[in-house]
Amino acid sequence: MNRLQVREVSVSYRKKTGLKPVSLEATGGEIIGLIGADGAGKSSLMHAIAGIKSFDGEIEFDNHIYRSPKEAEKVKGSIGFMPQGLGLILYEQLGVNEHLDFFADIRGIKQDSAFRVYRERLLHMAGLSDFTERQAGKLSGGMMQKLALICTLLHRPKLLLLDEPTTGVDPLSRMELWDILNDIIAKEKTLCIVSTAYMAEATQMYRVLLFEDGEIIDKGKAGELIEKVRPFSYEAAPEPFENSITIHGYTYSLKPLELKPKEPTLNAVFFINFLKKYGPIPEISIVHKDRDEDVPATIMEAKGLTKRFREFVANDHIDMELNRGEILGLLGANGAGKTTFIKMLLGLLPIDEGELFLLGKRIKSANDRQMLKAKIGYVSQHFALYKGMSVRENLRYFANMHRIEPERTSVLIKEYADTLGFYSYLDALPTDLPMGINQRFSVAAAIMHEPVVLFLDEPTSGVDVVARATFWEMLQKLKEEWNIAILITTHYMGEAEFCDRVVLLRDGKKIADDTVKNLYQIHPDAHNFEDIFLDYYNLN
Amino acid sequence: MRIGVIKAYFKKELLDIYRSKLILMVYIMPSMLLILFGYGIKTEVTHTRTLIIDNDQSKASYDLVSTFEHSKYFNSETKNLSENRALNLIKQDKKDLIIIIPEAFEKHLLKGLKTSVGVYIDGSFPSRAKTIENYVNGVIYDAIMKRSGTEVDRALITINARNLFNQSLRDEDMIVPGVIGLVLLIAPAILSALLIVKEKENGTIFNFYSSPVKKSEFLAAKLLSVLLLHGINIFILFLWAIYLFELPFRGSFLLYIFSSFIYIIISLSVGLLVSIITSSQIVAYVLTLIITIIPGFLYSGMLMPISSMEGESVIEAHIYPVMYYTHILYDVFLVGDGLSASKNLLYLFILMGYAIILLTIGSLLLKKRIV
Repeated sequence: MNRLQVREVSVSYRKKTGLKPVSLEATGGEIIGLIGADGAGKSSLMHAIAGIKSFDGEIEFDNHIYRSPKEAEKVKGSIGFMPQGLGLILYEQLGVNEHLDFFADIRGIKQDSAFRVYRERLLHMAGLSDFTERQAGKLSGGMMQKLALICTLLHRPKLLLLDEPTTGVDPLSRMELWDILNDIIAKEKTLCIVSTAYMAEATQMYRVLLFEDGEIIDKGKAGELIEKVRPFSYEAAPEPFENSITIHGYTYSLKPLELKPKEPTLNAVFFINFLKKYGPIPEISIVHKDRDEDVPATIMEAKGLTKRFREFVANDHIDMELNRGEILGLLGANGAGKTTFIKMLLGLLPIDEGELFLLGKRIKSANDRQMLKAKIGYVSQHFALYKGMSVRENLRYFANMHRIEPERTSVLIKEYADTLGFYSYLDALPTDLPMGINQRFSVAAAIMHEPVVLFLDEPTSGVDVVARATFWEMLQKLKEEWNIAILITTHYMGEAEFCDRVVLLRDGKKIADDTVKNLYQIHPDAHNFEDIFLDYYNLN
Repeated sequence: MRIGVIKAYFKKELLDIYRSKLILMVYIMPSMLLILFGYGIKTEVTHTRTLIIDNDQSKASYDLVSTFEHSKYFNSETKNLSENRALNLIKQDKKDLIIIIPEAFEKHLLKGLKTSVGVYIDGSFPSRAKTIENYVNGVIYDAIMKRSGTEVDRALITINARNLFNQSLRDEDMIVPGVIGLVLLIAPAILSALLIVKEKENGTIFNFYSSPVKKSEFLAAKLLSVLLLHGINIFILFLWAIYLFELPFRGSFLLYIFSSFIYIIISLSVGLLVSIITSSQIVAYVLTLIITIIPGFLYSGMLMPISSMEGESVIEAHIYPVMYYTHILYDVFLVGDGLSASKNLLYLFILMGYAIILLTIGSLLLKKRIV
C-alpha cells in the first residue's frame, strides 16, 4: 500500500521557522486536509513531502526513506505536486494538448492506447475536451486550475499533493475540481493531501490537520474536531463574559456558561485554541469622530461602468450603488473583475464607458477627483505598506500625504494604535508582523484622514480565522461609529454574511445584487452563501 | 540523460520563444547592436590642425612634411616659430598638433644615430589625442621606411601595434569585430538567464523541481535552445561584417565558427549564473546587461587596444573572456595567422577553459529545490 510516514519534519527559511516538527501517517485512498492561514506551515509541509525543500526529520513513502530533496528523487516519479497559485505550473503560450504532451514526455510516460484512454477521460472530466487547442493564457481561472490538475494526474501519481487548489476559483469550478479528485482517488487509490483556506471544504476530507503559526493545533476527522469544541460553544452573549470570545453570533468559553449551546463549526477550533493560548481577544474600539451630516445618502453610483483590455472585457456595463452607513461586499472568483472595478472607482484605471458619480458629483477627469481624495480611504490588495519603514513611520507618511499636522499625527497614531490594538508593534517593520496586524494598521493608515467612504481590496485573503473575524468586527464598528460607507472585495463567499448587501461578479458581469436578508429569502433551501452563489452560477 | 525529456523541454522552449515573440529579440538585437555600433562609433579623426616646425630644412625633413601635407588626416602648415609661441597656439585652441623636426635630423639618420621628433598634441580629449598620436607615429614611421627601406630606423619611433596590420585606418575594421565580441557576450547570456528565471517567476519551475527530470536534462534542454538560436547569429553577424561593413576576411572560417560557439557557451553560462541568484525576469535582464556590457565594451579592444592599457586595466582585461575572443576575431578578419600563431591557439584554449569552468560552476549551483 502507498503508505506515507512523516516523522518529526520541520522546515526553516533562513531566519524564520516555517514548520515546527510535525509527524503524520496516511495510506492510499485517503484525503488529508491541511487547513490554516497563509504562513501557517501548510505549504512548507507539502514542499518537504514533495522533496523540493530542505527539511529536518525523515519522510517515508512507498518504502523509500528520504531526508533531503536529493534523496527524494527516487520517489518523485510517483508523486504529483501542484503548487499554490492559479494555473501556476502552466505555460501561458502552450495549448491544452501541448501541455498534456509535455507533461507526458517529461514524466517519460509510454503513450500507448491505455494512456490515450486515460488522457481522454481526464480531458473529459475537466470539461476541456472542446478546448484542446486553446492556449493556457486564454483559459479562465477555473479552467486553468482544472488543466493544472489533470497535468498533475497524468502520470497516475500514488501520492498527490495539492497546495490550495481551490483558492480564488469560482464555486462551480471548485465543485468540479473536487469531483475529479474524488473520482481519481476512488479508482486509483491515490493518497491525496490537499490544503485549503476554505473551512467548508473540510467536510470533503477524510481527516484534517489544523495549522497555526507553523504548528498543527489539532487533527482528526472534521466531525470529531467539532465534537471536541462543542462543550465550549454557545449562542452569542448579549454582554461580554470574562475570559470568553463573542464573535459572529457565537460565544466561546472554556468555563461553562449559563447560555444556550450552539452547534459549532470548524472555526470554533481556532477560537478555542486562541482562547487557550492567549486568552480573550483584546477589545477593539474606534476613534471618535463627529459625523458629517452633509454627506449625500448615495456615496457612489456607477452606471454601465466598462473596462476593456484589448478584446478582453474585464468589467461589462456594471451598475452599482453604495450608500452611507452600508457595507457592500463585492464578491467573485479571481479574474471576475473585482479589482478592476475598484481601480476604476479610484481613478487608477481609466473608465472606457459608463458614468461614475462620487458623493453626488459626476467624475469625468482627474481634476474632479482631486477634491474628493480627502473623502476616500483605500486599502489595496496585499496592503501597500513600505517594507523598509516601521509601522509608526508608515502611518506618519500616510498622514503626511493627507496633510495632517505633525502634532495631530502623533496624537492620532497613538489613538489608533491603542484602539485597534497594535500599540506594541508601532516600532516594528511590517514584514516582521503577523498578517492580521498589518491588516489593521493598513486600515488605520487609510482612515486617519477621516474619509466618508472606504474601499478595501481583498483585505482578508490569507489571514487566519481569528484575525479575519476581528477584522470584520472592526469594520462593523467603524460603520456604526462613523456612518461610513464601505466597499469590500473578497473571494471568500462565506464572508458575504458579514455584509449588508452583496454584488456578485462573474467574468466581468454582475450576476447578483441584493441585500443579504433578501438573498436568504429568495433561496430558502440554501444552507450558506456558497449554495446561493452556486445557484446564480448555474443560472448564468 | 533521457533524450525524450530533453526533446520535450526543447520543443516547449522553442514554441514559447516563438509565441511570446522573444524570437524577435534573439534575432533583431544582435544585428541592431552591430549596425548601431558599427556606424555609430567613430574614433577616426580627420583634418587635425597641424603646425610643423622644420628646423632641419633637409631632404629628409621635406619628405616628412610633404607626407603630412598629403594626408587627409592632417591640415598642416609649416612655419618657423619658437617652441613656446607654437605651444601657445595649442592653448589658444588654434592648433591641435605641433611637430618639431630637430636640427641635423637627416644627418643623424644617415649616420644611424638616434634622433627625436617633438610631438605635442592637444590633450583636452584624451581618446582623440591617443588617436592623433597613433596617426603621427604611423605617418613618421611610414615616411622614414619609404626613404631608407630598412628596418634600422625603426628604433627612432615607437609605433602602436594597432596600426601595424590596420594600415587603412578604417574605423569599421576596428569596431566591427569588437562589436561581435560584445554582442555574442550579451545576447546569449540574456536569453539563457531569461529562460530559467521566467520559469522561476511564473512558478513553472515546480514542474522541474517536483518531477524526476534530472538537472542535466533540464540544463541541456535550456542551454541547447540558446546555443541553437544564437548559433545562427554567428552566421548573420558574419554576413553583416563582410557585406555591409566590407571587412576583409583573412583567416579560417572554421576557427571563426568554432571559437564563436565556445564563446556562446561562455556567455550562456554567465546567464545561467545570473539565473541562479535572481528570481524575477527584469532583475535578471538588467543584471545580465550590466555584467556583460561593461566589460564587453571596455575590454573588447574596440575602444582602446588592450596593448595600450596599463596597470590594473591590463589585469582586468585578462580576467574577462572578451579579450581572448576578440583577439581571435581580429585575427580571422584582419590578419589571418590562425592557429599557427601560438597566441591564438593559447587564447582558444583559454576560452575553452572558461566555458568548462563557468558551465560547471553554473550547473553545480543550480539547485533542484526551493532555496
